Amino acid sequence: MIDELRRLREEALDAFAKARDAGELERLRVRYLGRKDGLVSGVLRRLGSLSPQERPSVGAAANRAKKLLAEALQDRLGEVTAARPETERALDLTLPPRRKWRGSIHPVSQVIDDIWRIFESLGFARARGPEVDTEWYNFVALNTPLDHPAADEQDTLYLAPGLLLRSHTSPVQIRTMERYPPPIRIMAPGMVYRRDTYDATHTPAFAQIEGLVVDEGVTFVDFKATLAEFARRFWGPGTQVRFRPSFFPFTEPSAEVDVKRVIVREDGREEETDWIEIMGAGMVDPAVLDNVGYDSERYTGWAFGMGPARVAMLRHGVRDLRLFYENDMRFLGQFT
Amino acid sequence: MKVSYRWLCDVAPGIGLTVEEAMARLALRGAPVEEVEDLAAGLRDIVVGQVLDARPHPNADRLTLCRVLGPDGEVPVVCGAPDVRSGSFYPFAPVGARLPGGFRIGKRKIRGHFSQGMLCSERELELGDDQAGIMLLEGAYEAGAPFATAAELDDHRLDVEVTPNRGDLLSHVGIARELHPVGQGGIVLPAFPASAGAGAGLEGSFARGGSESASAGVCIRIEDPELCSRYLGAVIRGVTVGPSPRWLANRLRAAGARSINNVVDATNYVMLELGQPLHAFDLDRLADATIVVGRARPGETLVTLDGEARPITPEMLMIRDADRPVAIAGVMGGRDSEVSSESTDILLECAHFEPKQVRATRRALGMSTDASYRFERWVDPATMETAVLRAVELVLAAAGGELDGEVIDACPAPWEAPVVSLRPSRVRHLLGVEFSSTELVALLAPLGYREARTGSDVVDFVIPGHRSYDTLREVDLIEEVARTYGYDTFPSALSAFRPGTVPDDPVFQLEDRLRVRLAGDGISEAQTPALGPPRHGDVPLLNPMSADESHLRRDRLPGLLTHLERNLARGVRDVRLFELGTAFSPGENVAAIPRESARVAVVLHGRRAPLQWSGASGRFDVHDIARVLELIAGEACPGGSVVPAEACAGGRRGPVLDGAPLLVPERCYQLVDATGAVVGWGGEIRAGAMDLPPWAGTVVGAEVVLPSSPAAAVAVTARELPDQPASQRDMAFLLPAGTGAGDVLEAARAGGGRLLEEAEIFDLYEGEDLPPGARSVAIRLRFRARGRTLTDKEVDRSCRRVLKKVKGATGVEPRS
Repeated sequence: MIDELRRLREEALDAFAKARDAGELERLRVRYLGRKDGLVSGVLRRLGSLSPQERPSVGAAANRAKKLLAEALQDRLGEVTAARPETERALDLTLPPRRKWRGSIHPVSQVIDDIWRIFESLGFARARGPEVDTEWYNFVALNTPLDHPAADEQDTLYLAPGLLLRSHTSPVQIRTMERYPPPIRIMAPGMVYRRDTYDATHTPAFAQIEGLVVDEGVTFVDFKATLAEFARRFWGPGTQVRFRPSFFPFTEPSAEVDVKRVIVREDGREEETDWIEIMGAGMVDPAVLDNVGYDSERYTGWAFGMGPARVAMLRHGVRDLRLFYENDMRFLGQFT
Repeated sequence: MKVSYRWLCDVAPGIGLTVEEAMARLALRGAPVEEVEDLAAGLRDIVVGQVLDARPHPNADRLTLCRVLGPDGEVPVVCGAPDVRSGSFYPFAPVGARLPGGFRIGKRKIRGHFSQGMLCSERELELGDDQAGIMLLEGAYEAGAPFATAAELDDHRLDVEVTPNRGDLLSHVGIARELHPVGQGGIVLPAFPASAGAGAGLEGSFARGGSESASAGVCIRIEDPELCSRYLGAVIRGVTVGPSPRWLANRLRAAGARSINNVVDATNYVMLELGQPLHAFDLDRLADATIVVGRARPGETLVTLDGEARPITPEMLMIRDADRPVAIAGVMGGRDSEVSSESTDILLECAHFEPKQVRATRRALGMSTDASYRFERWVDPATMETAVLRAVELVLAAAGGELDGEVIDACPAPWEAPVVSLRPSRVRHLLGVEFSSTELVALLAPLGYREARTGSDVVDFVIPGHRSYDTLREVDLIEEVARTYGYDTFPSALSAFRPGTVPDDPVFQLEDRLRVRLAGDGISEAQTPALGPPRHGDVPLLNPMSADESHLRRDRLPGLLTHLERNLARGVRDVRLFELGTAFSPGENVAAIPRESARVAVVLHGRRAPLQWSGASGRFDVHDIARVLELIAGEACPGGSVVPAEACAGGRRGPVLDGAPLLVPERCYQLVDATGAVVGWGGEIRAGAMDLPPWAGTVVGAEVVLPSSPAAAVAVTARELPDQPASQRDMAFLLPAGTGAGDVLEAARAGGGRLLEEAEIFDLYEGEDLPPGARSVAIRLRFRARGRTLTDKEVDRSCRRVLKKVKGATGVEPRS
């Protein structure tokens, strides 16, 4: 009887495949699956003639065949009627749409990507460097002697004497200039590491973005203009930009860049935010250019570094940086 | 640097800036205020009360009944102090007032008498530790006036962020100078209350010498002129060491310093005012009344002021007496020679120490002090004489005594102001704005940069002492020009740029594509640190913050799994995470740089689709991770294939955790690239490898090594669409246990020849009606030829070839 079922199944599947319209399929349904005279139903009806030992397995096989054929018939019916509007069956359009999981790109990655798109349009390319680096690349070549208090500013994680986890993305400046001649127009996003404990604004590993421009005739005016252009494209045309003097060993003059944004409230009112510090920047110190063998009397440049996680905090109203690194699905799932 | 706003106004009387204006200007000068504290905030309710009369409480020995004149007229007050003076003024908290600690004064009845307010002690107002009695205000006041204003306590403490290059801002005069450049009123050093004006008469009274000098029976010798270029010593005899006068203690407190005693406070005051650290020795404790500035001798130790025995080494510069070290130069004094209440004769030290030496010493000792912080950032050598005279004057005013002899001046290496040349052409080259020589002089002169010589295309500037450590190059002066001109004054105009020589990094491009692909597949991007606890093969850190983050991970998957664990622990049951990050493996030898590789890792747990009306979608298993591996391979590894780990002889089994494979070996795939190298793994995570709640189901994960130089994407050559109908055949096979359905499919594809367009498994079935372990597999084959319709004969022939190939490769025959 199992063999008979198998044969019936093959035969029916073959017939379904050859059927051209719904009418033909309906005739096939009656022939194979019909309650009264259907051939598969017939097998089920004859179960009684089997021994009690055989009965369950054959019964199960018959039911499976019936189910398989019903599905196949339905599939085929769908195929032959696909071209025509469904009018016979009323569909419940109040049902929620059929769902799939929605994935998401990390909010910090999104910020990096948005920043990158703007700089890409300003002629920048991305450069990469190692996360484990030497004191030379992380400090000395960047005009930060280890016996200067500036080297204290970033408490660094070491692997061995002289070998460390980069505390900023600035070593990529040196590595890139060593490898390529001017003009340089790069951005270097990447992870950096500090000897910090976790709190609302610190994690030991976090993302940073570096930017570097070196060419003839690059001035403080270009520096200001390009970063202001970036800020207006990123935060909106009403954004004000302020440059404040600061100190970084590898830039001179150095600046901190603040923005004041215009945000639109829910009632449509526009409101100015406070000044918010968004990046450290400055003209590349001639000593840095000398260290990579560029002629610092001929070439000038500017550089910046910013923390995309901080920008993401501002963008999404996140108060605690740790949320970005806990990777709770309920948090990440909001950024689809 | 903590700055008292009142103090700032005292040294720059013409400053004319409110607290807010001062903060705004400091921000624009490169020294932003991180925090501002209203020091009178807790004293708002406190007023000056005048005690009209006071008499002993009839029912208590230690209580006094007073009539106090306050803002609301006369009120009765019961006071806990026995010595209340009639007619005197005290800080008074009327009924309803709140003390700094938050306590609210109510109307009370004490031993039968009403008390409507409280006369306060320093401690109750959090102004000092003196709780002996209520705080008597010297002088005349208006009863009922706000106490903070009357006592000059209405001050603000600004916490100014000072960058490492600006040691000159670590004093009130330094901050005032920055806020208020020369020529707009200038800096004054205010007279001390109760000062006899001793400082004024001292001018010029220095016992000048080279490496050695002496006066008043005290000899100072410098052995290392390179590390200490000058040492001034003032001998003051007959001091009375005790508590500081209230104004001095208040001033120090306003600037965030603690009052210790009148002599130490005097030295701290001068340091906070002028930036020059000073030290006071008990002269009687210095053997032979001698000071020697030189290196430590081998085997010496010193117990410093804080009671710590410091392991000093011969590289360190020490202040010694005739026998032994008495202070670590520029860092901290020794306990034995410290000024105490028994001291009568003292030696004030005012020295200049080399910054790098102080930094090396204090780092070697693992300490930092107010003095070392300033010395390693440079202390103005031109202010030393002013500082020592100011300190002498203040000690005399606060602690009495007399200056003995001249100020000893050992100066083996007199300081000379450096001269730096500035080319207007270079200014324009860097800043993009044209400045004439005259304009440059006008911009720099107010900051103390004196024009020495102006040539046709260069101006030489003499650098003032307070900037003579960080302003030694032309570009340093150019920064000063930009800062003074005002960063915001510069125009902001985009100009044309040349394209750079650096190509956009292809790994970033690959990561971009993977992000979009995986997020599009319903997976969320995570970011986890590359740091973790020690595991086999991980790279150790030298100075980790904690054991949990002491190693750089060799693989990303274990870290991502801990984040999956955390989600499950929080009750989040459907978790789909991916991550792009760097993995580290040890270099060739211990000191070698670890190898880094970019990775993508994925973990999946739970339902394949969200809960919904159309029914359950099943749960993630290894077949899903195989698909994700294919997805990744499509971007990262063109030409690669995903194969069961078994099939890949000699390949790595993937990440290892706690000595065992992270993935279940029988449920594991490998991604093999076009050259045959294994570049990725994916499969079911071994249950013991994770800490999961009991309800958790199967977890699957994958990790792929991204190529360090991904091939540029090759454009697809589009195939023409078929112009002929296809012939379709279904075949069913009965697979014995151990035969792979995929192998059968593979064989069928291989056997179908050119005419076979597509072959897929469309039914897989196992059940009681089949032999144990056996499965029935149904394969649908689609045949098509270009340009003509296939005949049944041709299709039959192809089918026979398929069957033959399947039988040959797997031994499986079609089901009848």
